[in-house]
Amino acid sequence: MKLLTHNMLTSKCIRGVNVGYPLSINASDVRVADVDFNPDFISRMIPKIDWPVLYNAVERLGHVEDLPKETPVNYESNEDFLKKAHHALLEVEIIHGELVCPESGRKFPINNGIPNMLLNEDEI
Amino acid sequence: MTSLQTPLYNLSEFPLVYEPAEDTHLFLDALEKDMDNLLQIKPVTICEIGCGSGILITALASIFKNTCCYFCTDINPQACLATKNTALLNKADIECVQMDLTSCLKAQWRFDVIIFNPPYVVTEENEIKGNGLNRAFAGGKKGRIITDKFLKSLVNILSDNGVCYVLFLKDNILVEVEKIMQQNGFCSTVIMERKIPGEHLYICKFNKKH
Repeated sequence: MKLLTHNMLTSKCIRGVNVGYPLSINASDVRVADVDFNPDFISRMIPKIDWPVLYNAVERLGHVEDLPKETPVNYESNEDFLKKAHHALLEVEIIHGELVCPESGRKFPINNGIPNMLLNEDEI
Repeated sequence: MTSLQTPLYNLSEFPLVYEPAEDTHLFLDALEKDMDNLLQIKPVTICEIGCGSGILITALASIFKNTCCYFCTDINPQACLATKNTALLNKADIECVQMDLTSCLKAQWRFDVIIFNPPYVVTEENEIKGNGLNRAFAGGKKGRIITDKFLKSLVNILSDNGVCYVLFLKDNILVEVEKIMQQNGFCSTVIMERKIPGEHLYICKFNKKH
């Protein structure tokens, strides 16, 4: 699971959970993949991303390197920044671990890079 | 016209995953037919619901490559693994999460392209249970229980300029769906239909009215 995916997932579908965002991460296997960089694509994705959530996730995994805490102004033309964003969003992957609902503590296992967000009927 | 190749796939390790069939191929043909429109909206986020073997989203990934990100969901854990495997075989990079439709996506998230080949067969309601192969086809009353649930959420997951493609069977009574979607602020267009033995299939495209 890429951190881009983490940025869009919530556990709000659990009965009694209001926001369920962001999910906490416990990772036991993290890998860094090599993904083709496309500055135009990353630039168009930035407005959709909850940046502090991405920053905290990448920091939690120990891959923050020199990713800025905030998106810089005129980031569209800042290739150095876009490369760092690309790395954080698409290259850092959680292979095994779990996501945890911030409100209920419900754990969602991640195996082979696939989070299991399926709930039991009595949780919905 | 941009041609859409059928991706490589191998389901030998995934016996509980729906094998691509006529409906899948109709879907690929419809996406190919509508490709100029798809290219025109310049999507960055593409999502498949109920990805099964993963060949539909992988086919799109082979066209849009690294101009987009690809996300899909399935309730069947084997389907999620099969999709990852299909992506790998075709050198595509696809994210897959096991969940029901898009129930665990944050409220503000929107996709530019959404594709859904739903469980469309008319069955008894009680056949819609579990996470196994039956969930790939069992659609309950009118074969529309899952499709209707999905379409109800569409307004919140499709971007303003986005497009959504859904497969229907004649028994699903598409005119009823089109009427409901019209009331919900969507335009609908049947972009392809095909009669195969025992089934009359349609691919319908939905987009938000402006």
